[in-house]
Amino acid sequence: MSARRSTARQVTKGVLVALLLVFTLFPVYWMLNSSLDAQAGHTSSFWPAEPTLEHYSFVLTEGGFGGFLRNSLVVALATVLVSAVLALLASVAVARFRFRMRTQILMLVLIVQMVPLEALVIPLFVQVRDLQLLGTLLGLVVVYVALALPFGIWMLRGFVAAVPVELEEAAYLDGATWGRMFRSVLLPLVAPGLVATSIFSFITAWNEFIFAMTMLGGATESYTVAIGLRSFFGVHSNDWGAIMAASTIITVPVMIFFILVQRRLASGLTSGAVKA
Amino acid sequence: MTAQAPPTPRSSGPAPAGAGRAAVGWSGGWSSRARAAAARPWLLLAPALLVLAVLLLWPLVRVFLFSLQDYGLREITTGEANWIGLRNYGEILTAPELWTVVLPNTVGFAVLSVAGTVVFGTAVAVLLASLGPFWRTVTSSAIMAAWAMPAVTGTYVWVWIFDADRGVFNDTLMNLGLLDDPTNWFTNRWTFYAIVLLNVIHHGFPFVAVTVLAGLLGVPKEMLEAAEMDGAGAFRRFFSIVVPQLRQVFAVVIILSTIWDFKVFAQVYLMPGGAGSNRSVLNLGVWSYVESFGQNRYGFGSAIAVLLTLLLLAITAVYVRTVLAEEER
Repeated sequence: MSARRSTARQVTKGVLVALLLVFTLFPVYWMLNSSLDAQAGHTSSFWPAEPTLEHYSFVLTEGGFGGFLRNSLVVALATVLVSAVLALLASVAVARFRFRMRTQILMLVLIVQMVPLEALVIPLFVQVRDLQLLGTLLGLVVVYVALALPFGIWMLRGFVAAVPVELEEAAYLDGATWGRMFRSVLLPLVAPGLVATSIFSFITAWNEFIFAMTMLGGATESYTVAIGLRSFFGVHSNDWGAIMAASTIITVPVMIFFILVQRRLASGLTSGAVKA
Repeated sequence: MTAQAPPTPRSSGPAPAGAGRAAVGWSGGWSSRARAAAARPWLLLAPALLVLAVLLLWPLVRVFLFSLQDYGLREITTGEANWIGLRNYGEILTAPELWTVVLPNTVGFAVLSVAGTVVFGTAVAVLLASLGPFWRTVTSSAIMAAWAMPAVTGTYVWVWIFDADRGVFNDTLMNLGLLDDPTNWFTNRWTFYAIVLLNVIHHGFPFVAVTVLAGLLGVPKEMLEAAEMDGAGAFRRFFSIVVPQLRQVFAVVIILSTIWDFKVFAQVYLMPGGAGSNRSVLNLGVWSYVESFGQNRYGFGSAIAVLLTLLLLAITAVYVRTVLAEEER
């Protein structure tokens, strides 16, 4: 009786897992499938009817996607470097020091994360325009650093707080200055958190769409991948094989990064954002 | 945060905890050292605060100032101000479009998608918690793949799946005989938002599932076993033991999802007709954007953006209180 019930339960569980896998993976599968099928956009089949890599070579050569990839990489790496340094310094301040206004600053960091991009895009467009940086990658980097910073501070603060204070004290006992302690004790111990935060900033910059669309406007040579995709949409028909190939190229690095940091990301979210 | 060194008697008042620790290594002249230590957090914070002030706070002030002006192309190029008081807000609040289309699309959609994301994510977390290590790894990796999909490419994939002429959804329905002619799902407001809902839930449930799973694994096994011995069924155990234990986790997950779902932009804007040509699918964010950058009515668009921000700030206030309550425990 109970054996039969547990078999029934196992079967139900198996069915649920199968359904879940289909739901979560179908879009990814469909993207890959269409990107590898010469017939994509003509017949829809659940596996490549005519397997080919043609879409990828088209996208990367004639489609000009190589340039978009390079732009995105430059923007994302610059964003990561600048925001990691700024976030690390600020997170040490809020995690390791008690000072007046500390709570207010934490609140500020929390609140600015919630501001909708739609509200920032109008004034920042005017600001970047006044600085004559419209259509340049530098203008985008400046904006992305600001977007990645609050979350970076919030998350790193959890990692900094997790480093035992006793280790710092031991460094002081050995005669280290604060700067020496920072470099030799704190920095190596926070490094994993720094990696996770950097990956988050990278993904923010890599995926960002609304600012790239607004600030780059007609400057096609500066397009990042997220808006470069739009060049494969035609007026009357869309080249779905090429769009899906380009989408795959955009998605793959993000997925690799995600799988690399999934544990840390989850623990960072809860330790940094919930418990701290 | 509890790992702070206890302050020594010498570092009284607002002196940083760091001063207490720094006191270990030297004997004399501590007042200048203490002053340096008091300045240190501000030195560390200065670059980040400067960036936040110039690029986030000042723009927020400016978008409010723009919203009080008739700010168009001429004002952008000349930099002149053209104050009109609250007229933009009056125009928004009296626009029938706001009450029949934009607000329902924004608020109604946020409510449905938050409910969908949280319920589905929690169900997935419960399923994951009951699996063995192998299948749990397989399933959570698949979930990561859904999470990692960028909003832009994810939206294009859903558009392609539901494409009127060549999409796999229409093709399958027609092959099964459930549909006679290809249907364009993007022109109807309800089916349009059904696709956005599917997209947003698919992209948003992994965060809920992963966070709730972490909480579930922390619920003491003994409590659940004791309840089972007392004859509590699975549902009863879930709602009477697990949910109260995870109250904080659920609060954070719900509020963060609400904030994210109120400002969906790319998921609507990139759909066919979503960029303003189909007025019946506008939400607050897209409306603000197309009025500003489509019609060059930056002042009017700013006023819409201010309203959206106020709405989100109200939700954020609840979030901050929840997090701070957690911190004080």
